Amino acid sequence: MIRVDPQKCSGCLRCQVTCAFFHTGRVGRSRSRVNVVKIEAMGIDYPVICQQCKERYCTRCPESAIEIGAYGQIIVSPTLCVSCGTCEKLCPIGAIELHDDIPYVCDLCGGEPRCVEQCNMGAIWYEPDAGDSISLKVFKKKGRGQDPETKRVHYALEMTKDLRERWKSSVGR
Amino acid sequence: MWGDNMLYGYSGHILRVDLTSGKIVREKSDPRYMLKAIGGRGLNSLRLYDELERDIDPLSPQNMLLMGVGPLTGSLLSSSAYMTISGKSPMTGILGDSAAGGFFGPELKQAGYDQIILMGKADQPSYLLISDDHVEIKEASHLWGLDIWQTTSLIRSELGSNAFQIAAIGPAGENLVKFATVACNNSRMFGRTGMGCLFGSKNLKAVAVRGTTPISVADTLIYLDLCREIDHRILHHPEWNDRHALGSTLLIKALNNIGILPTNHFQKGVCDYADHVSGQTLARKFKVKNKSCFNCNIHCSRYYITKETESEGPEFETLCSYSSRIGVDDLKFTLKMAAYLNRMGIDAISSGETIGWAMECFQHGLLNKDDMDGLNFTWGNKETVEEILGLIVQRKGIGSAFAEGTRSLARRFGKGTEKYALHVKGLDVICGDPRGMKAFGLTYAIASRGADHLRAEPFFELTERYDEAEKRWGIRDIADRLSNNGKAVLVEHTERQALITDCLTMCKNIGLSMDILDFELASRLLMAGTGLDFTPERVEKDLRAIIDAERKMNIDFGIDSSMDTLPYRFTHEPLEEGPSQGQVVPIGEMVRQYYRLRGWDEKGRPP
Repeated sequence: MIRVDPQKCSGCLRCQVTCAFFHTGRVGRSRSRVNVVKIEAMGIDYPVICQQCKERYCTRCPESAIEIGAYGQIIVSPTLCVSCGTCEKLCPIGAIELHDDIPYVCDLCGGEPRCVEQCNMGAIWYEPDAGDSISLKVFKKKGRGQDPETKRVHYALEMTKDLRERWKSSVGR
Repeated sequence: MWGDNMLYGYSGHILRVDLTSGKIVREKSDPRYMLKAIGGRGLNSLRLYDELERDIDPLSPQNMLLMGVGPLTGSLLSSSAYMTISGKSPMTGILGDSAAGGFFGPELKQAGYDQIILMGKADQPSYLLISDDHVEIKEASHLWGLDIWQTTSLIRSELGSNAFQIAAIGPAGENLVKFATVACNNSRMFGRTGMGCLFGSKNLKAVAVRGTTPISVADTLIYLDLCREIDHRILHHPEWNDRHALGSTLLIKALNNIGILPTNHFQKGVCDYADHVSGQTLARKFKVKNKSCFNCNIHCSRYYITKETESEGPEFETLCSYSSRIGVDDLKFTLKMAAYLNRMGIDAISSGETIGWAMECFQHGLLNKDDMDGLNFTWGNKETVEEILGLIVQRKGIGSAFAEGTRSLARRFGKGTEKYALHVKGLDVICGDPRGMKAFGLTYAIASRGADHLRAEPFFELTERYDEAEKRWGIRDIADRLSNNGKAVLVEHTERQALITDCLTMCKNIGLSMDILDFELASRLLMAGTGLDFTPERVEKDLRAIIDAERKMNIDFGIDSSMDTLPYRFTHEPLEEGPSQGQVVPIGEMVRQYYRLRGWDEKGRPP
């Protein structure tokens, strides 16, 4: 899985732009499988990306179109998928989202994530054996009925609470 | 390539909005026009040249307000984050424009627009909402009076999405302060020439944009290679570490070390307490992490927290304008003012100059408290600084005169105070004493928007690359900041380099100051990105034509060669101490040489 250190993230979106480019051949921030939440008023930048969670909520696909690959990544079958959006609804952190009826989710780029290559802040890194170690259960209830973007914002806020406390206590050091 | 009706690189549309009638028209970008205008500032300047009625009041509905991006904006190209806002400047009456990074430009691009052209004046406070193809003029009475941070957050919450990018004005823009700014991402400022005032004059509080369409480039693999080449140049640049750690704030110490840090309104170039207000001290005491514009690999910006405020920023110009330039030795106060300026939407350089001017006039006994509604403009008087800023924003009492800018303010008081109004063509001088960097002096004098460094930022003269100067231009002195020899050659070159950086909407710190972008590489990027025939010859011809067009437009606006000069101080009063001691700028000779190199006549008129 790809781990995140929000202290190091500058919010440049390089990961996002790179992901979109290598998966679509086109440029810009949209159609990315990693999405950086930016909350300017709090200085928060947080790349939200599939955490290959313990629960694997998205695999409860009614069409059985989603399976787990050799790296622990999510694989969506284009032939079985009927674009019902269940996976998008099930993911508690907004890491899977439909664009033009196709679910976009991190595929770990075959074990060499392009986004990680391009992050020269060290804010994201790949840990091949860390999949299935994180539980997203606490976000499940909160995220119910929300769109992916809102879920990502709530997740980012929750994951940066400690960071904000650290910053405040360091004032005027 | 464009024969098949497919436009690569560009978004492909121009959005025309008439705020008076409410009419909104989406037209196709014309590839033939783009081949001349390229993008960003070039696109805006040519549009003004072609369509703007010259003899108008800048605050009238006839003035145009342009927001332009380029064919590579928001792409894989590192730091392709910028957007230029242009119009006839309410501050100077000549060409006005200002560029900022952040995330607004890339979002506009993805919404499908290369340029927004706003005309007319809304009959009530309004904001423009753009969500891909959906464009709407929305009522904004409830936002009027709110500061920029409040406005940004309220629009996002009303639209139900944090993903909207907002360019907004604060109360200063609403109240038509002539040097009001537009801001995106809370602290990325379109600072100079009063574009925020132009927003206000059109009853336009903000533009909110969201775009979800990725852009196709013409030759994907070549484009990728070229972008990686740029990345490589940036990451292996000798200044990468310092710029990553401090960004532009490194200039406080750097300029102080060479004796050109504006201190007490340019009376000195060395500041005793530079260490207290330096970028290093800011980083050590208050910075909590690095921040960045869209797709940059330097991450030069910073987030800071003090007991009173927190924000991204400030950059060098704000840091200096509200410390040494006005005699303030209190970093926390400077940070507090930086946040205030960003929230209210006022340019730090121009507002700082009005204050510095007043303080110097007090020092020489030309003005006193009675002239200033009882305010005591002594050096570093923090209470006065806070009070006058509040009055400027609200245009109350003496603040209303300050809100017109230093040139107008000094004209009003007369009595010899004009001598201390440090501006060129009505735009205030930035924080860098030209006496110790001659090519910068020339840049301030000839820049098409007034005393500005970014039009040509001839950073090369500060880098001591003597051999490189010899190799490129055959003049070693170009790398000597104190020499005026060859500086017109340098400025003629870097003015075009600045323009191509603006057209590609890259960061000028990177494209220009770090010397990353050259014309040949720019041409290859443009061809790979757009598929249009942007040969090096074509690009060079375009850049020269755009610079000429800006000049011709300014001549129409009433400038002449007598205005291509510097304030008296920089040409006649030598610096008294420090590493630039004894220096003045021999401006006339450099300007004449510059005209010749530009192909203009002796009166500075293009053919």
